[in-house]
Amino acid sequence: MQHKLFLPIALALGLAVAGSAIAAPPAGRLLASQCAQCHGTNGNGPGFDELAGKSARELRDELLEMKYRGRVEGIMDRQAHGYNDAQIQLIADYLSAQPGGGGGD
Amino acid sequence: MQTLNRRQFLKLAGVASALAALPRAVGAATTPARVVVVGGGFGGATAAKYIRMWGDNVQVTLVDTNATHISCILSNLVMTGALSMSRITLGYSALKTNHGVNVLQGRAVAIDGAGNTVTVSTASGNRVLPYDHLVLSPGIDFIAPPAGAWDANLTPHAWQAGAQTTLLKNQLAAMRNGDLFVMTVPKSPYRCPPGPYERACVAADYLKRKGRVGAKVIVLDANASIQAEPVAFGEAFNVTHAGMIEYVPNATVQSVVSSTRSIVTSARTVNNAKVLNFIPNQKAGAIAAGLPLNAQGFVPVNPLTYGVAGYPNIHVIGDACAVPASDNKAVPKSGHMANSEAKVCADAIVRALAGEAPDDNVTTNSACYSPITARTASWLSANYNYGDIYDAAGNVKGKGMHRVDLGEADIIGGDNYEDMFTWADSLFADSFM
Ligand SMILES: Cc1cc2nc3c(=O)[nH]c(=O)nc-3n(C[C@H](O)[C@H](O)[C@H](O)COP(=O)(O)OP(=O)(O)OC[C@H]3O[C@@H](n4cnc5c(N)ncnc54)[C@H](O)[C@@H]3O)c2cc1C
Ligand code: HEC
Repeated sequence: MQHKLFLPIALALGLAVAGSAIAAPPAGRLLASQCAQCHGTNGNGPGFDELAGKSARELRDELLEMKYRGRVEGIMDRQAHGYNDAQIQLIADYLSAQPGGGGGD
Repeated sequence: MQTLNRRQFLKLAGVASALAALPRAVGAATTPARVVVVGGGFGGATAAKYIRMWGDNVQVTLVDTNATHISCILSNLVMTGALSMSRITLGYSALKTNHGVNVLQGRAVAIDGAGNTVTVSTASGNRVLPYDHLVLSPGIDFIAPPAGAWDANLTPHAWQAGAQTTLLKNQLAAMRNGDLFVMTVPKSPYRCPPGPYERACVAADYLKRKGRVGAKVIVLDANASIQAEPVAFGEAFNVTHAGMIEYVPNATVQSVVSSTRSIVTSARTVNNAKVLNFIPNQKAGAIAAGLPLNAQGFVPVNPLTYGVAGYPNIHVIGDACAVPASDNKAVPKSGHMANSEAKVCADAIVRALAGEAPDDNVTTNSACYSPITARTASWLSANYNYGDIYDAAGNVKGKGMHRVDLGEADIIGGDNYEDMFTWADSLFADSFM
């Protein structure tokens, strides 16, 4: 038990090392992971429309359209209501940078 | 089963908390951090995968009693014979090969909160696994009825898929003209709010298709009303399956005698049903039961980390946890939600290992596709955002996951039935591959 008393000092040093070695997670990664139950990990399938690699602008515009058009046609329209506009932008930016076939269509 | 020594667990917890509240020691750069995940269902499998994907060389060990996980999702269609058991059997090999997760078959039987170890009973004896973070996703356990003689082998619940599903399937198949299929809906909160109503629908549809004249489904609901998709199931009960399903609300179970398939509730007594699908009330899986529990028997968690108060390096996700939410807008216990929570937990653990605070720009969501007949389905969708949560009067009562959107299908159709498989396969892959 006794050696644990020294931990705080070691931790302070460790933090400095870790802080420089590990980059913060990319913005939007956690938010975009919440699309993966229906679009596949990183938006890369299997699932509904492939999202990975689609342009950020297209993704954002489609999501905003589904969110604001008033009528709800399907489950995706509902899901689009689950995010604020800033979150939608972060998600679109993250997914557009993922490798995948979404850019193909 | 209550193998965790609660007193010891709690006594030692203070020390563990003090240590865990601090970031990892200087050795972090050379010694990989160790995460143990107990329970390889939707929550646990997803957590193991995403910690490996997102973490910096974190060593992850996934522990499950069984060699494969049999999904409850789609299991009502195994009950009717529409799908095979292999269709819903999910293995762990992709987690090993694609993501480098260590998989250990065995039952976690004890947690040492001060020593940061979990003991796993395996075929070759006990193994003690040290951890920096422990994630528990053990699912549910059942609460026995207040009286009678309950035996799940005689009156299967089929609320954990596998052998139980096969038992119920065989009993349904043995029904003849005029027979009764009696089922219960547990008191909320329980696993999969739409699940019991979905089961009533596909059982009725099965009996109709088999031409079982006069056979009926009786739904004894411990709650005051239908707990999910009231529009879709209201129509299914009153129109689609009119005359086949009798819905009885406010039916609190008082006694169950499995040998005679008899049940007494506050609203209705049925003796000698042909099938008694008694689905008991539920609580957190046993391995979580030594942690602080709420009045319903689930573990309250911090929605940014899924950490447990007083145990910052123990996390509980999925059906076993209770997430702070606005009144009447509870976070549902679903496989989709367990997957969603697992990612928030994984992100928080990866950040904690790097000495960072958890993200507070956090969302979760749930979706369920419910078969109504052999060809049609409805769906339910719900989204949650971290922030203020409200009491029934609309006053802020704290922070938690506030439900920002809820909706169900307005058409019960064939497209939804097809989409159900696209969704399930996507969820299965995101969790297990
Ligand atoms: C009929 C039915 C239909 C459903 N339909 C849907 C649906 O359409 N959509 C949806 O999202 N959800 C659905 N659900 C709900 C979904 O199945 C659960 O919410 C989900 O499985 C919860 O995930 P979990 O990780 O908390 O627990 P589980 O998936 O149950 O996983 C728990 C795992 O932990 C293991 N375990 C437990 N204790 C220990 C221990 N001590 N040591 C080692 N291993 C242990 C178990 O073996 C199990 O594999 C349905 C449920 C039912 C019953
Ligand atoms: C519950 C399942 C589900 C979830 C979760 C989900 N989607 Fe979808 N998504 C769908 C379905 C179903 C479609 C197909 C809609 C259609 O064809 O009408 C779709 C289609 C789309 C489309 C194409 C829309 C178009 O105009 O063609 C985009 C873009 C999209 N989703 C983005 C997202 C993003 C981003 C997220 C996460 C924030 C997300 N989806 C989460 C089910 C889901």
